[in-house]
Amino acid sequence: MKSAEGRGRTLDEAVDVALIELKESRRNVDVKILSETAEETIVEVSVIDPNAPDHSIPAPANGKGEIARGLVETLLKHMGIRAQVSVRTGSEPITLDISGRDLGALIGWRGETLRALQSVTNVMVGRHLDEGERIIVDVERYRQRREHTVREIAMRAARQVKMTGDAITLDAMQPFERRAIHLALEGDPDVTSSSIGEEPDRRVVVGPRKPAAE
Amino acid sequence: MPSRAAAERIRKAIALVNSVADEAGDEEITPTEIAEAIRDCLELPEEELAPNVRRYLGEALDAVSDGMPADFVAMTLYAALGALREGGAKAELN
Repeated sequence: MKSAEGRGRTLDEAVDVALIELKESRRNVDVKILSETAEETIVEVSVIDPNAPDHSIPAPANGKGEIARGLVETLLKHMGIRAQVSVRTGSEPITLDISGRDLGALIGWRGETLRALQSVTNVMVGRHLDEGERIIVDVERYRQRREHTVREIAMRAARQVKMTGDAITLDAMQPFERRAIHLALEGDPDVTSSSIGEEPDRRVVVGPRKPAAE
Repeated sequence: MPSRAAAERIRKAIALVNSVADEAGDEEITPTEIAEAIRDCLELPEEELAPNVRRYLGEALDAVSDGMPADFVAMTLYAALGALREGGAKAELN
């Protein structure tokens, strides 16, 4: 995977430096913060390339991923949607990538149609899956991009919390987005994340981590 | 027009089920809470829920009671949401 290190006074500056070196746009990269001080932020920016050769183990030809791929391909055909379905290599859990032109309708309002398609897929493939195992369905990397976006939102919120000491309540998010935020911040010693409110208006609160009582 | 209240209640039930399926890990959702959310939908007045929407909601409620996987319950609720929209579209045409 192609990657570059970027340094700057702010997170945006550091990412931009790396993007220029990589000649890539922001939507095609994953950002990892290596260090962050008041004076300088250092990031590692890695290119996400769906066609890049992967060193991880590909899904077996007749594996669960292939069964799910075949079923989704047939389903899309019946829906009159022309799209390619592939199994993302080295992905855990099994992820199906749907790509093609004008697939916005397949994503739907706030990803609702995509989520429905994923539910249907899991019901169809259910008997081939182990207990607790699930298939993730992504259209044009929408879900992956959303995860990257919310991770960036989490990092920004964390920086602000560290500067001001005040907690920040983020917008209402879907469960997989909240999960991405909790995972992004779980290793940060200075901030903590929790959720408040009820579905579908449940929001993540990023706040300062209080020192453990002695 | 599909009832906004009905769509909101069905979406709330879907969000609860998806929260279980996606394992957000930040709340404990029990089958009782999901069943309550579906019952909230079914309590809407007759004119707000077409018979097929009511049927899908009933099936979703049965699926929760029978301990069916979250994805199955979600799929049935999405069907209810789709039927609600379809009903609205037909009403607009008539």
